[in-house]
Amino acid sequence: MNGWTISSLIVAAAILLPVFFILVSVAQGPGENWSHIKQYVLKDAVMQSAWLALLTGLFTTGLGVGLAWLTAAYDFPLSRLFRWTFALPLAIPPYIAAYTYSAMLGYTGVVQTTLRNTFGLQLSQGWFNIMSVQGAVFIFTMFLYPYVYLIARAFLESQTGAYVENARLLGRGPWSVFWLVVLPISRPAIAGGVILVCFEVLGDYGVVSYFGISTISTAIFKTWFGMYDIASASRLAAWLMIGVLGLFLLERQLRRQRRYSATSGKSRPLVRRRLRGAGGAAACMFGAVVMLVSFVIPVAQLVVWATWTADEVWHEGFYRIIGDTVAVAIVPTALTMVAAAIVAVSVRQFDGIFGYMLAKAVTAGYSIPGAIIAIGVLAVFIKLDGWLAPVYVALRLGTGEAPLVLSLSIVMLVAAYVVRFMATGYNALEAGFEKIGPQYAEASRLLGRGRTQTFLRVELPLLKGALLSGTVLTFVEIVKELPLALLLRPFNFQTLATKTYQYASDERIHEASVPALCIVVVSLASVYLLNRIERGMEV
Amino acid sequence: MLGRFTFSSVAAILLFILLTACGAGSGSSENGNTASQPSESAAAGQSQEQEQSGSKEVNIYTARHYEVDGKLYDEFTRATGIKVNVVEGKAEELIERMKREGESSPADLFITVDGGILNNAKTSGILQPIESDTVNSNVPAEYRDADNHWVGLSARARIIAYSKERVKPEQLSTYEDLATDKWKGKVLVRSSTSLYNQSLLASLIELNGEAQAEEWAKGIVANMARKPEGGDRDQAKAIVAGQGDVALMNTYYVGQLLNSKDAEEVKVGEQIGVFFPNQETTGTHVNISGVGLAKHSKNKDAAIKLIEYLTGAEAQAIFSSENFEFPVNPEAELPELLKSWGEFKKQQLDFSKLGEHNKKAVEILNKVGWD
Repeated sequence: MNGWTISSLIVAAAILLPVFFILVSVAQGPGENWSHIKQYVLKDAVMQSAWLALLTGLFTTGLGVGLAWLTAAYDFPLSRLFRWTFALPLAIPPYIAAYTYSAMLGYTGVVQTTLRNTFGLQLSQGWFNIMSVQGAVFIFTMFLYPYVYLIARAFLESQTGAYVENARLLGRGPWSVFWLVVLPISRPAIAGGVILVCFEVLGDYGVVSYFGISTISTAIFKTWFGMYDIASASRLAAWLMIGVLGLFLLERQLRRQRRYSATSGKSRPLVRRRLRGAGGAAACMFGAVVMLVSFVIPVAQLVVWATWTADEVWHEGFYRIIGDTVAVAIVPTALTMVAAAIVAVSVRQFDGIFGYMLAKAVTAGYSIPGAIIAIGVLAVFIKLDGWLAPVYVALRLGTGEAPLVLSLSIVMLVAAYVVRFMATGYNALEAGFEKIGPQYAEASRLLGRGRTQTFLRVELPLLKGALLSGTVLTFVEIVKELPLALLLRPFNFQTLATKTYQYASDERIHEASVPALCIVVVSLASVYLLNRIERGMEV
Repeated sequence: MLGRFTFSSVAAILLFILLTACGAGSGSSENGNTASQPSESAAAGQSQEQEQSGSKEVNIYTARHYEVDGKLYDEFTRATGIKVNVVEGKAEELIERMKREGESSPADLFITVDGGILNNAKTSGILQPIESDTVNSNVPAEYRDADNHWVGLSARARIIAYSKERVKPEQLSTYEDLATDKWKGKVLVRSSTSLYNQSLLASLIELNGEAQAEEWAKGIVANMARKPEGGDRDQAKAIVAGQGDVALMNTYYVGQLLNSKDAEEVKVGEQIGVFFPNQETTGTHVNISGVGLAKHSKNKDAAIKLIEYLTGAEAQAIFSSENFEFPVNPEAELPELLKSWGEFKKQQLDFSKLGEHNKKAVEILNKVGWD
C-alpha cells in the first residue's frame, strides 16, 4: 500500500458510492413488477440492445480503425485535413443526429421534397425509413466511430512503425499488413474505444425511444416513468451494468496471455507512404464521403434550420448559456483526468484481477443511463448535506434545521460528471499506458526513482498524447451531456444540451438547431485546440 | 520524497474540491441578487429575512419546456417584482428529487404536462392544498384536484388525425372503432414510451374496463400501418405520405405544423383533418398540464400569486395562442384555429384515474407488444 494505491482507492470509493446505491437494488430482491418485466419486456430488450451494441461495435471498429490506418500510414490528397476532421462527428449528440437525419429523409425533408417538387418523383416511404434498428446502427456508427478512430490513430502513429515496416519488407501488400499486423496489434486500443461506443449505445435513450426500438434503456424508463417503480428500474440498470462488466472480463480473458507493448526500447514512428493516382483519389473520396455523411450534411441542415428560427430563439441569454456550459465542463474535465491518472498508475502496480476490476469499476458509471446515475448522485449528496448540516448551521449557510447546500449548488453536477465520465478519461490513459509498456517504469524504478518521480519524469511525457485526447473527449462529452444536467443542475442554470432538449422534446427540431449548433461550435473549438497543441508537440 | 509528493497531490485535489464547494457555498450566503452564481438565487429565496418581509421569489420545478412559459414568468415578475427561479426536467425525475430533498426542498411549485403525473405527485406526498378563491374561480372544478393539491394550466385533446384525401370524417367515430378490422394496416401511432398513449389507454381502462382496454390495444397493434416510431408530427407526415390513413395525435401539434417555418410542414398540416372521437359516447380524451403547490414551500404566498396569475384569463389566452393548447379558464379568448375546430364533448374523467391506471396501461402495452 503506497500513496498511489490509497488515493486511487479513495477515488474509486467516491465514484462507486452513487453506483452502489443502484447495485443495492439487486440485493433487495425483486419487487412486484419484476415478474411482469421478466415475462414481457426483458427478452426483447436484451436482444435488441445486444444487437445494437454488437453491430455498432463491429461497424465502428471497421470504420474507426480503417480511417485511423489510412491517415496514419498514408499521405493522400486532403489527408492532413482529414486527420483532424475525422474527430468532428463527436461534436454532434447522437439524438440530434437522429432527429436531423429522420427529418431530412422524412416526407417534408429536403430529400423527398426535392424529388417531389423538382422531379415529380414520389417514391415509397420504405426507401427513406431510417427509424429502425439498422437506422440506429447507422446513426451510432457515424457519430460514435471517432472514439475508436482517435484512440487507434494515436496508437498506430507512434507504435507500429517497426512491425509495419518489417511486414512491408517481407513483401506483404497493404491489405494483408492491415489485417495481419495492424488489427491484431492495435487490439487493446480498439477495445478501449469500442467499449466506450458500446457504453454509449447501451445507455442511449434519445435515439432508441424516438426510433421506437425497445432496449434495456427504454425498459428502464418505462418501468420508472410508466409503472412508477424506481426500484425495479434501478434493478434493470444494475443488471445492465453487471452484464457490461462481464463483457469486460471476457475480453480480458481472451487477451490475457498476450502483451501488446513494444518489446524493444525504441518504438519507431510510422513513416507515411504516399498514395498516388487512383489509390490516392479513392482514399480521398472515401474520406470525403465519411465527412459528408457524419458531419457536413447534418450540420448544413442544422444551419438551414437555424436561419429559419434564430430570430425567435437566439437572444442575449445565449452567451450566458454558452459561458456556463464551458465553465461547468472545464472543472470536471480537469478533476476527471487527475482522478483517471491516479487510478491508471496504481492499477499498473497490481497485475491481478483486483487491479483490473478496480479499473473497470470506476468506469462503470458510463454504462448506466445517465438519469439513473443522477438519482444515485442525488441520494449521496442529500446524505452528505445531512451530515454537514451542523457545519452549515455554524457557518450560517442555507436555512432551517437541515439545510441543503451542496445539493443545491453546482458542485453536485460537477461531481456527477466526474462519476460518469471517468470512462472517457481513463480509457484513453489506459491505452496510452498499454502503448508505452512497463519497461520504462521498471528501468526507472531500478535506477532508484520512486513511483511518483517515475510517473512525473518518465511516464507523463510519454502519455501526453493520450492525456490530451482523453481531456478533449471528456470535455466534449460533458458539453453535450443531457440527463445529468437535466436533473442535477441548480435553479436558472441551463446548458446548451438542456436548451436543445427543451425544444427537441417538444418536437421543435427547427428551433433546437440553434443550441445544437452552439454545441457543435464549442466542441469544434476544443478539437481544433487539441490539434494545435498536438502539432506544437510534434515540433 | 515519494510520500511527500503523493500527500501534497492528494491534499491539493481535496483542497480544490473543497474550494469549489465553498465557492458555491459562500455565494449562497451572500444573498446577492445577480443571477451569475446559479445557486445564489435558490438559497437567497429561503433567507430568513425575506421570509419575514413577504417572499420576493418563487422556485419552480417544471416539466413543461415551452418558450411561452418563460415569457409568462417574466411578465409575472414585471407585474409583481417577484423573481421566478426555474429548474426544467423530466416530471418523474423532479418528483424523485423533491422526495429525496424532503423538508429542505427549495421547490415551491411543481409543474408537469400530464394529469396522471400530477396525481402521482400528490400520492407521493410532495404537494399541499392550494387555498385561493381566485384560483377556484379561474378554473372549473373538473380541472382541479379534489383536494386542491394541483390545478390545471392548459388542456390538450388526443384526437384522430386523418387524410382529407382518403378518409371521410363520416367513416370515423370512436377510439374503439380504430381497433376494428375496418382500419387494418391504416393506423399510425407512436411508441408506447409516449406518455400520451399511456394516458389514453389508462382512460379506456377506467371507462371500458381492463379486459376491453387490452383488446383495444391488441386491435391497434394488429391495425398498425408500420411499427410505432417518431413523434406526433411524424404521424401526421406519414398520413400525407400515404403510409397510413389515420393517426392518434395531440391537437396542438396540428397547430404547430400549420404555423411552421417550413412550408412543407404547413402543407402537411393543411392536408390532415382533425376529428374529435367518441362524441356520441364517452367524449374525446383530454389531458392537462398543471401545477401543484410543494408541500414544503418556503414562499407559499408568492407561489399562490403565481398560480393565480397563470390561471387568469389573460395568461390563459397567451398559453393558448402561442402553444395551441386549450385554456382551462373559460373566460380566456381562444385563438382562431382552436375556434375553427368547434366545440366538442370531453371525456368526463377524474384525472387522478389516469395516474391510478398508468401502471396497468404500461403492463398492457408491454403485453400486447406495442413497441
